[in-house]
Amino acid sequence: MKLDSDNCIGCELCPPYCPVNAIHMKNDVAVIDDDECVECGVCFRSRVCPVDVFEEVVAPWPRAVRQVMSNPLIENPDTRIPGRGTEEVKTNEVTGRIKPGFVGMGLEMGRPGTGTRFTDVQKMTQGLAEVGVNFEPQNPVTLWMTDKKTGKIRDDILNEKSLSAIVEVSFPIDRLKAVLKKIDEVAQQIDTVFSITTCVKVLPDGSLPTDKIFQELGITPYPGSKNNIGIGRPRFNFEEGT
Amino acid sequence: MTHSLHRLGTRENLSHDYPLICMAAHGINEEGAAAKMGRFLEICQRHGPVNLGDMKQGNIFVHDAEDIIRNITNTTLVQVVFDDLAKVEAVLRDLVAENFDLSVVVSGLTDATRECCQKVGLEVHTVSQSLGIRGNISRLPSREVLEITTMCGHGMTASGLVEQMIDDIKKGRATPEKAAETLAKPCECGIFNTTRAATLLAAAAAQ
Repeated sequence: MKLDSDNCIGCELCPPYCPVNAIHMKNDVAVIDDDECVECGVCFRSRVCPVDVFEEVVAPWPRAVRQVMSNPLIENPDTRIPGRGTEEVKTNEVTGRIKPGFVGMGLEMGRPGTGTRFTDVQKMTQGLAEVGVNFEPQNPVTLWMTDKKTGKIRDDILNEKSLSAIVEVSFPIDRLKAVLKKIDEVAQQIDTVFSITTCVKVLPDGSLPTDKIFQELGITPYPGSKNNIGIGRPRFNFEEGT
Repeated sequence: MTHSLHRLGTRENLSHDYPLICMAAHGINEEGAAAKMGRFLEICQRHGPVNLGDMKQGNIFVHDAEDIIRNITNTTLVQVVFDDLAKVEAVLRDLVAENFDLSVVVSGLTDATRECCQKVGLEVHTVSQSLGIRGNISRLPSREVLEITTMCGHGMTASGLVEQMIDDIKKGRATPEKAAETLAKPCECGIFNTTRAATLLAAAAAQ
């Protein structure tokens, strides 16, 4: 994002709009801290500036990572989904992405509202690789790994910052306790926050295969959940794997 | 993962907050999905959503709903949010009646959402749950601010703007409803619940 400080009138309207506090006033005009800016475009799209000092520019690589991960209106060329998200549970009755006996998990680094460097993302991917998870192939973070066995992410993007980045993995349910233990370890080593999602296919009796494990661990999920209601067609055949 | 999950709140205030998402499975049923997502939004619109939007275009606080529906593409996601579970039930009933066949997810209080699906003959297929926030939580804003900002799962609604809106309400410069609309605009996809936000903003300003 470019901000033409020479034409800024110093109205101070724009700084609150920045999700990562990268806009501040200096010598009575607004300036952007380029290192903190995640290229989400909120300041530009808000049209809050009365004299239009913001200009959204196409960022070159590796800064482009910020734009594609932080601006949800941009379609990721690899996943063909707008923004950093993936299909995950949303289409599972059609894709069969999350299978019975497995847990899908998303560690959304930098959420809520803090942002993340890819150095912190890599700490999580490398930690998870140690406990034997499968990284979701159709996920931007996985696509930027140079080694999926170790969770290594390409060096040229490690200092880039995005509003968030989702580490998406799956593993057999009996690995859940070990994975959560590792996540707690990594949580102590990073500078940002992250939100944890678990995804499971509902059992025939309506319960979730993770219910008992969470109970044993003293974990109480949020009262709200996200529910795929199973109406998409063609329906994935989980018995035949097709 | 998943922009309609991780909404922080109490059972009471979350009982007025039900986002719905519709999308195609890419490479499987995306052909013709744009028209189906448009139909999904038309059905939702009939039952009075609080907000509605398309991930690639924006929401009804920025664009006209008819324009949004007309310009949907196969690979996008469309979203709505309701403040009343009875309206969600009515939408689901219509979708079932039409044999609607794109994937739909309903977020909200787990027990209430499940019951709502069962009433119209649907069984929840796959569930995402939030285990909360970890890491350096000293960097987070206050809980009252987070209950509002987490309604934008893409993080577009800044905590600084929420704080400013609370201050504006306190000083009589904005009503909670107008402040909620201001906060909804940056949340492009359309799942920011302005009804719930207005209630939370009013409560925060009254403190």
